[in-house]
Order: sequence, then structure tokens, then C-alpha cells
Amino acid sequence: MDTHVCGPGCTHGVSAESEKEITEEFQVSRRTFMRDALAVGGGTLAASTLGMAMTPSAFAKSATPGSGMSSHYYIPAHANSVLWGYFSKSAKPVVEVESGDYATIETLTHHANDDAERMIRGDAGAESVFHWDAKKKGVDRRGAGPMDAKVGAGAGFGVHICTGPVYIKDAEPGDILEVRIIDVAPRPSANPAYKGKSFGSNAAAWWGFHYGDTLTEPKQREVITIYEVDATGERNWARAVYNYRWTPQTDPFGIVHSKIDYPGVPVDHKTISKNPNVLKNIRIPVRPHFGTIGLAPAEAEIVTSIPPNYTGGNIDNWRIGKGATIYFPVAVKGAMFSVGDPHASQGDSELCGTAIECSLTGTFQFILHKKASLPGTPLAELQYPLLETQDEWLLHGFSYANYLAELGPNAQSDIYGKSSVDRALRDAYHKMRHFLMTTQGLGEDEAISLMSIAVDFGITQVVDGNWGVHAVVKKSIFPARGG
Amino acid sequence: MILNDIRRFSTSAFPEELRQAAWGEVLAKLLLTSQPVGATGAPPSGHVSACTSALGSVFVQLASTPQILLPHPANAYHTNGHAVLVLALQSGTARVSDAWQAAALGAGEILLLDPGQDWRIEFSSEFRAMLVRLESASFILRLVRTDVQELNRISTKSGVGTVCLNLLQSVADELGYIGRDELPLIEATLAELLVACLSRESQTEGSRTQDSPPLDPTSVQLGHLRRVCRTIESRLGNTELQIDEVARIEGLSARYVQKLFKVGGTRFSDYLRSRRLERCRMDLGNPALAHYSIAELCYRWGFGDAANFSRAFSARFGLSPKAYRAAPARNIDDQLRRGRPEQAGSPAPSKPDQAASAPESALRRQFRNLLDDHARYAIALSLAPKRATPASGDATRAPLPGHYYIPVSDKTVHWGYFSRDIKPVLSVDSGDIVTIETLTQHASDDCARMIEGDPGAESVFFWDAEKKAVDRRGAGPMDASLLGRGAGEGFGVHICTGPVYVRGAEPGDVLEIRILDILPRPSCHPDYAGRQFGSNAATWWGFHYNDLLTEPKKREVVTVYEIHNDCEKPHARAVYNFRWTPQTDPFGIRHDTIDYPGVPVDHSTIEKHYGVLEKAVVPVRPHFGVLAVAPGEPGIIDSIPPSYFGGNLDNWRATQGATLFLPVSAVGALFSVGDPHASQGDAEACGTAIECSLTGVFQLVLHKRAAIARSFLGELDYPFLDAPDEWVLQGLSFCNYLAELGVNAQTQVYKQSSLDAAMRDAFRKARHFLMKAHQLSEDEAISLISVAVDFGITQMVDGNLGVHAIIRKAIFPGFDDELGKPQ
Repeated sequence: MDTHVCGPGCTHGVSAESEKEITEEFQVSRRTFMRDALAVGGGTLAASTLGMAMTPSAFAKSATPGSGMSSHYYIPAHANSVLWGYFSKSAKPVVEVESGDYATIETLTHHANDDAERMIRGDAGAESVFHWDAKKKGVDRRGAGPMDAKVGAGAGFGVHICTGPVYIKDAEPGDILEVRIIDVAPRPSANPAYKGKSFGSNAAAWWGFHYGDTLTEPKQREVITIYEVDATGERNWARAVYNYRWTPQTDPFGIVHSKIDYPGVPVDHKTISKNPNVLKNIRIPVRPHFGTIGLAPAEAEIVTSIPPNYTGGNIDNWRIGKGATIYFPVAVKGAMFSVGDPHASQGDSELCGTAIECSLTGTFQFILHKKASLPGTPLAELQYPLLETQDEWLLHGFSYANYLAELGPNAQSDIYGKSSVDRALRDAYHKMRHFLMTTQGLGEDEAISLMSIAVDFGITQVVDGNWGVHAVVKKSIFPARGG
Repeated sequence: MILNDIRRFSTSAFPEELRQAAWGEVLAKLLLTSQPVGATGAPPSGHVSACTSALGSVFVQLASTPQILLPHPANAYHTNGHAVLVLALQSGTARVSDAWQAAALGAGEILLLDPGQDWRIEFSSEFRAMLVRLESASFILRLVRTDVQELNRISTKSGVGTVCLNLLQSVADELGYIGRDELPLIEATLAELLVACLSRESQTEGSRTQDSPPLDPTSVQLGHLRRVCRTIESRLGNTELQIDEVARIEGLSARYVQKLFKVGGTRFSDYLRSRRLERCRMDLGNPALAHYSIAELCYRWGFGDAANFSRAFSARFGLSPKAYRAAPARNIDDQLRRGRPEQAGSPAPSKPDQAASAPESALRRQFRNLLDDHARYAIALSLAPKRATPASGDATRAPLPGHYYIPVSDKTVHWGYFSRDIKPVLSVDSGDIVTIETLTQHASDDCARMIEGDPGAESVFFWDAEKKAVDRRGAGPMDASLLGRGAGEGFGVHICTGPVYVRGAEPGDVLEIRILDILPRPSCHPDYAGRQFGSNAATWWGFHYNDLLTEPKKREVVTVYEIHNDCEKPHARAVYNFRWTPQTDPFGIRHDTIDYPGVPVDHSTIEKHYGVLEKAVVPVRPHFGVLAVAPGEPGIIDSIPPSYFGGNLDNWRATQGATLFLPVSAVGALFSVGDPHASQGDAEACGTAIECSLTGVFQLVLHKRAAIARSFLGELDYPFLDAPDEWVLQGLSFCNYLAELGVNAQTQVYKQSSLDAAMRDAFRKARHFLMKAHQLSEDEAISLISVAVDFGITQMVDGNLGVHAIIRKAIFPGFDDELGKPQ
């Protein structure tokens, strides 16, 4: 197993200096939210300080016992450190951390096989995950569906490769987990021919909003566009390399995929026709972020990764990037955090079904807020993922705030036929009103007036089953809170 | 249709014996009386449409049988020489005669008549004529009298005379659709045209051959002086204006011009300065210009030095410009009276003339009267609400754009609807700049802060037991027969200033609206002077209504905000809020909810809660919710649902620096703007933004269809917003709801809209834009949209719901902004 121990070359060490660095770096974008909470509620937040960790780990942990510092874990992407296409409260955690600990987590895009030369070849982690020959798949279950499904194990009911889960010690239902995104970096191509570059794939797929509503023939086509991202971080934009139309692909087990109906099917480049003259001179500003980030829900043993829900998941909001903090309600013991679906860039709505799907590595810090410490704080009633960026708070409305609970036993399939932007907006409105009333101490009439004049509602995505509308409120509106 | 209080009258409705009397009554309004022709004595029969303007002028369309028209015998006693009669013969023939001469009059001729003189017009056949009794037009009579003929016929063969005739003819056609309050505009225009015609006549006379009767030299000189005055008036803003230039323009010698003024008892330079001072004084008294400094205003009228101006102003009016601005003359009459450059009671502008105390010579009086009249006329024109005053630019030189100002008043707005039939308040050329004042329809939520003392707002919101200044509010029936809310039923609520007619604009063209600047409209109430307020109403049409947590579940709440502009980061803060209580409007109709715009809120019925949103500081995003051209569909269209012609887009990105492109559907484009907002969030959740009166500076640029053929703009059939850093494509639930939903579109759009449909439309428009303006293939466009285009919810409260797509320009490096031009 490829493990990592923070060494002299690692920027996330845990010497007193580097600990300070990390904290400072984060402070740049650190919210004043919790501090205000103290001011508002007068409560205390026992767990919001950096924890003391001396934890054995499934992977390397760099803290020396007794150093008095937080631990920093490294979780590489590997066949045995990922769940493909689902969340599960019963999955075996890859690591157990304490509140205050850091973890650097590699994530892989499930579209890497659209161009294996650029995105998999030579990359041991990716090769182990995507391995698939006539006999064996590196990761067999892909999705929450039946293992004997014709299209493949797990049926592709859920597609995202999620690294984790991370078990947070002492986390129990009713607690809140704060996840700070300290850093996000692209995963360089391991193929020497593409040194210094990263690549991503954008698939205009059958589940896209555009599908069936195209102008040119053939009307029902799926198109993959490969994008190049500068892995060194010097260039903050991506460019298209080529595109091709999806042709029926036969997987190593002999199943023909005439559409993109199962994740990780290797595309045989002999069967496709590449068009290199695509999006010439167009620069797409990068917004590296994680499309899927969340905790295991309580409602079912195994839950598809596609529709986002109250515990997060496939939110697909590009603002979930470096410097952002996201708060989740904990639904199961240990919280069971996992992250995946890395994107180099995405527009609000993710219209064609995918973003620039591009493997990334993120560094996170986990802070647990115990239920008992919550009353009187802004987090007391948090029932949904709350995102905080440097300048804004964001709430995610979905067509169904908790589709698993609302739609019953067939929720995981029914949700696809029931979504609408109108419903998601309704939910976003409810959540923003709740947020303003509980965290800012506003009356309902004040909250409603403010929502109309100063809150922006945007369309997060219309392709993930449970459609999303987010509400954005600027922190600077409440200057008394130090924003 | 605006059917106004037109009096239609037909003699056939009367028993025969009463016809002559009834006919006489109608004609008396025109200061006329009628006699039968010949001995038969058959009383005239005929049809009349008549309309009286707010200023007392009477416009009459007459169709009748042969008769003789004479000045009413009472004229000699009752008229004080202020009225003039204009007759345009549309069909038939007549013979006109006075004590000295007689002449035949044919169809298409215009005659100016002094009702105080003796004359007769004999119609020998059936005839149709447009007759106007023009009040307060004595200056025209003076022109008439100083000219050779007492019977003034205007040549309508070409030039201004033709325009004049066409104007009268179209007024006749549109009599039913021109408001009583709109007529003064036409009066002003007509008067101006007549003056121009008469000057032309006298010019022609100046070059008569020897066959003509000899000219009175005084008349010629007066004609020259009149022309000189007009030239000066149009060039007041030119700091360098010299007598030489004026003389050159008029083809006269400088010495001669100087002499003209000398006869009038003044000097060119004094006259020029007094005119400039007068215009400055009017601007200083105009609250709409309060945001300009005194120095800016005086530069505008050609003063090069503010200190110099201040001294001159004090010397003339007895108080400093600053003091005058603080307490300007209150009404137009004052301004007119004080505006006379007779210098009575003020220091003499020229060296004291010994003759001044002596009886003025008749000659001097004539010249003085002319100067006096001219000044009065110029002021009247600039005060006429619908007359836009050129603030800069020289009409004779094409390349400089004209700059016009449209103050907001009951004469310059249409409330709650769009229509291609609304008469424009101003005509401009492509490239011209127009400053347009707009009012929020929510100002009556707090009249003290947002209406009182503001003449423009007061004129629009005026409403007492007898009269509403702007009666129609909305596209509903005028008799409120559907819901009983009031005229127009509030089916459409926005006060829109305009429309502006863009010359040369035709359906198929595209109008580019550049938002150059947005200015606040400060409160005029003494307690709040200079501060700015807005209102946010959480109303029954808001997204939150029926979805409230606290009791009472169905409530409407108005929050009044103050806008703070004088700081580094302009922002708004709440002042107080109140729950809407049933309000009874001045006509006695009770409004349990906010169901009709502009209902004054009686603050004794409400309970104000101060200290709301105490800590919230809302950054401002000043913008216009409504930016529209006239729809192509006939009739009156509700202002609420946005559509292909723009309208109530409610996108806060339509702010300073942004440019909106709209497809033209009506001749002249007919641009209107309203629904000003200090700030709004995407979605406009509770139904309104911070509704706050603003003034916008717009440049209107016309793109002719032929010039943009085969480009993105050439195919544009929806609103397209070009912001400094991004392009915004506006998706709507129905991109043209009027066409898509049929006869009941204006009802159905409120029921059938969805954000899903709007999202679909936004996607298609973004794809169209990328494919057409940036030559991407469909697959490229779709991929780009997914990875780099942001979709947001514009509004969900305007019936036709909106979703916009934002495309950052940075995506196209080196893009030269040659949008719409084929590459």
C-alpha cells in the first residue's frame, strides 16, 4: 500500500511552525461565523479548537505521540480506499480521526477512462482503482444497485469514486461536522508524455439537460471533450484538447455500453474519431472543487452517490473549493466522511451532465461540534449542508431536502423523475429564511425582505436527480459580525 | 387605448329647431359664430370632436355643411388678446376676407386668425377642418401683426409649413387618444412650428421683388431680431459665443445686430448674459438637477467662471445662486413672470438710458416686446414637460450626439403598461444621449420621504377625491369592471418614463441601450432633504406568500430603506417596517392588499417598527427593473411579465456600464424605462426589490437590420445584456408569452410559468449566442456551457419567470468586442 508520511518536503507537516502556517493560511479565508456564534448565543464551542490527537491510523499519521499537535493523515486514492458510486454507513473506514485533525485526500475522477493515456497510465493509484481485465475489476461495485446487474456490478446507480470514509471519533447523530478545505491541487498526469499537465474530461451525457434538445444531428449523441489543466498552477485556466462522440464500448467483461451507462468503462480510442479543432483560443478559468463531499446518510445501508441530500453528497457546487468550509449534520456514528467527483471547473447548473472531471487532491481539517455544545449557536438547528466561503454563506436547496425520507422505499430511483428547479428554489428559500432567522437573529419579515434585496439564488445543478438551487448571502451585509 | 374625455357632438342628435343654437354653442368655444349661407337659412349640420387642453386651448375637428364663420361678437370684450385661432382646411373650399382684402382658401392650407379682429370665412361647400384655439399665444399674434398682412396664410407647399399641416392632420386623427394633459405638448410644438413658419414667411417677404407692396422697414428689422434671438437661444451653452458668430450664422453684419439690440434698449452681451442667467435660475430651481453642482449648471449654460456667475446672478436676482437653490420660485407662473428679461426692479443691464424715464417710443416698445416675448416663449418651451431641452450639442452639426433630458411628470409617464400606440415624449437620433428620470411606483408607501416636495413625483402621484393625475395604472379596463381596483386594475404596476422615439427604427432592427450613468433622486421633503429612500414590499405575489412561519400567515410587510451614497461603499439600511393595513384610496376604494399601484398609505393607520434589520448593511446595486421597447402586438400590454421586448427583466446587472440590446418591434422602437431599484437579489424573492426612484443616463444606438444581417445581433429576438465583464442571456419561461399563449396570454402567463421552462430557454439562448456570436459548434457550446457558464434565477415573481445565463468575457481572450459583426 502506498502510504505517505509528512516529511520535510510536505507542506502539511505538523511542526509547531507548519501548524501555525496552516492555521494562518486558513485564517485568510476563515470565517468569523463561529466567533460570532459565541457573541450571539453566549454558548461555548468545546470542540472548535484544534484537537489533541494521538491516534493510530490505517494509514500513516505524522503526529508524534505526545507532541500536543493535531494529526495529519494522508489518504491516497487506491482500490481499497474508495467507495465507487455510493455512501454507506456500514463501510469500513479508511482512517479514524479526531476533531481538529487534518487529512490530505486524493480523489479520482470516474471519467479518467475517457482518456486513460492522459489520466490513468503510470498513476499507480488510478491504475489500481480502474484496473479491469477479463477476470477482475479493481473495484467491482460501482453504484448502489444489485451486484448481478447486467450492465455491471452495482448497476452504475451512483458513479462517483469517493475516497473514504473517514471516521470521526466521537461523532454521533445530532452532532455537526465542520470540514475546512485547506487546499486543493490538480493531480498531474503520470504519463511522461504529458509531464506538468493535468487532464479532465467533460461528458455531454444522456442525463444532461441538453439531451434530446440539440439542434444538429444525430439528436441523441454523447460527446466527450478532453480538457488540459496546468498541473503546476501557473495558469489559472483550462483549454480543450479534443472531443469525440461516444461510440458503443465493450468493457473487459464483454458488456457493450452503447451509452455512458456504467462508470469507468475504458474507452477504446481506436473506435472513436477525435476532433482536435475544438474551442480554439477559449480559456476556461479553473475553479477546482469537489463535486461530491458528504457524510453517510442514516436512511439506508447503501445509498447512490448521485442525488445530493441533507448530508451533502453530490452537491456539485464549484464554490466547494480551497478556503471554503462546509458544515454537515451528522447522521450516523463516526460521521463517515467521504469525498470525490473532483472538478477542475464547472458552471452553475452543470448543464450537460458533467463538469471538467479532473482528479484532484485536497487537504481537509475536521472539526466536530457535539450536539450538547450546539444550543444557542448558529449550528443548533442545522439540518442541511451549509457552505461558507471567504465572503459568503451558501445554502443548498434541493428539490427534496431529504429525498430518502420523503420519497420512501423507492426514493433512490423515484427521485430522478420528480425534480424541478421550482421545488429546489422553494427549499433554498426555506433554508435561507431559517439561516437568517436562527443565525442572524432576524424576524421572519426581516429575513424575507433581506432575501429579496440581497440574497442571490443560483441554479447549482439540473443533472443530479435531486436538482439544486443555492442561496448566496454576502457576509459583509452583517459587518457587526466582523465580516 | 387611451380614450380621453373627448366631446363628440353631432347635430343630428338634436331636433332641427335646436341645431343652430347647439352649433353656436360649440363654435363659441372656438370664439366663433356661424351664419347660414345665402337666403335659404338652412341651419348648418355637422359633426364635431373637441378636446380641451389642460391650459385651456381647444382642439376641434369639424365636418359641416356650407356656412359663414365669423369672430364671435363677444370676442372684443372677452378675449384679452391671448388666444390665436389656427384653421387647417382639410377638404372643401372657402373664401376668406377682411377689411382690406379677400382670398380663396383651398384644402391643405393653414390660416392664422386673430379672434379680436374683423374677418369672415365663407364655406361654399361641405368642408372638413381642424381648428385650434391656441391659448397664451399672444406672441404669435404679435408676429402676425408686425408682418405685412393681417390675414396670415401659411404656405404648406414645403418645409415647416408642410410639417405643420401634417401635425394638425395627425392631431385630428388622434384626438381621441391624446390625453388632456398631453395636449399642452402639442400646443407648444404647434406654436413653435407656427413661429418658424411666420419667420419663414417674413424672410420670403424680405426678398420680394419690386412688384410686391413696399415693406415696412421695422417689420424686417423685427424679423431679423427674432431670428437672432432664436440663434442665441440655441447656443447659450457655447462659452465662446460672440456677436460675430451669431451675425455670421444669420447672414447679417455684427454692427447691424448690435443696432437691433440697441433699439430694443439693451446690448447683445447683456441680452446673452440675461438669457444665460435665466436658464441657470430655472435649472437651480429644478430638484431633478439637484445632484449637479452650481458650477456644473452654470458651465452648462455657457458661464466659464463660477465666481463670475455667482456675482452676476446675485446682481440680477438679488440673492446668491446657493440661496436661490435653497428656496426657488415655487410655480411656473412665478418663473414666467420673473423670467421676463425686462429687468424691472433689477439693476439695469446696460448703461442707464436717460430716455428710460421718459415715455418709451413706440418703436422701442415694439423691439422690447419682441425680446420679452422671445424670452417668455423660450422659458415656456423649456418648462413644457414633454419638451426635452438640448443640454449640449449643436443641432446643425451631425457628429455630436444630442443630449436630452426627460423629467418625470404625469405627462411623461405611462403607468403599468406598454403599447406601440403610446405617443412618444421625445424623438432622438441614433447615438443621442437621454437623461431620464424614473419613479418607483412604491413611493406612496412613504409619501413624506419619497414624494412630498418633489414636483415630478407629486405630479405623477397626484390623487384627490376628484382627480388622479395618471388615471390608467395597468392594462386592465378603465372602468375597473373586472376587479374594481381602479382604472387599469393594476394589471401592470410600473411607472415607465417615455417612450422615446428613435428616428429610423423599424421592426427588425436592434436597439442598443447603453446605461451610462445612474443617479439618485434625493428626497425633497424638508425633514429628509437630500437623503434617498426606497421601499421593499413583501407582497402577495412574492414567493414567500402562503409559505410563512409566523402569524398572521397572510400578511404584507413594507420595509422602508435609506440609501447611503455619500460613502466609500454605498449601501442601504432599513429604517422601519410596517404591516400593510387596508388602505382607502382618495376615490374611496379600499385596498386590503397591495392590489393597485400608487395607493397613498395613510400613516395613521399603520404601526411602524423601527430598529428592523439593525445590523444589516446591504450593498447597493442601482439598476432599472424595466427597460423596454414597445411590443409588436397591438393593444395595451401589462408591464409585469418580461418578454422578448424586454420589459420587467428585474436583473440587477442592468446597471451602470451595462448595455442592453432589444429587438425593435414598432416603428421608432419606443423605448421606456422604469421600476428603478437600489438593490435586488437574484430571484427577487418577496416580490419587490428596494424600489427607489433613480435617474438614468442612456445612449440609444440603433442597429439597422441590413447592417447586422447574418450576425448574432441580426438574429436577436430576445433581450441581451452586455455587462462590462460578462454577457447575460435572459431566459424566460415563455420567450414571447403573448404569441405563445394566445388571446388570454396576459392571464395565462401567471399560471403556466415555471423555472424549469425558463432554465430551458436560458440554455437555448446561451447556446445560440455561443454558436452565432462566437462560431462554436453545438457540441463545443454545450460543453462550454456546462463547464463555464453560470445559471441563476433572475426573478420568480413577475409572471413570466426568469433564469439567466452568465458568460464571462475572460473566456474569450483578446475578444475585441466586435459583437454582432460577422468575423
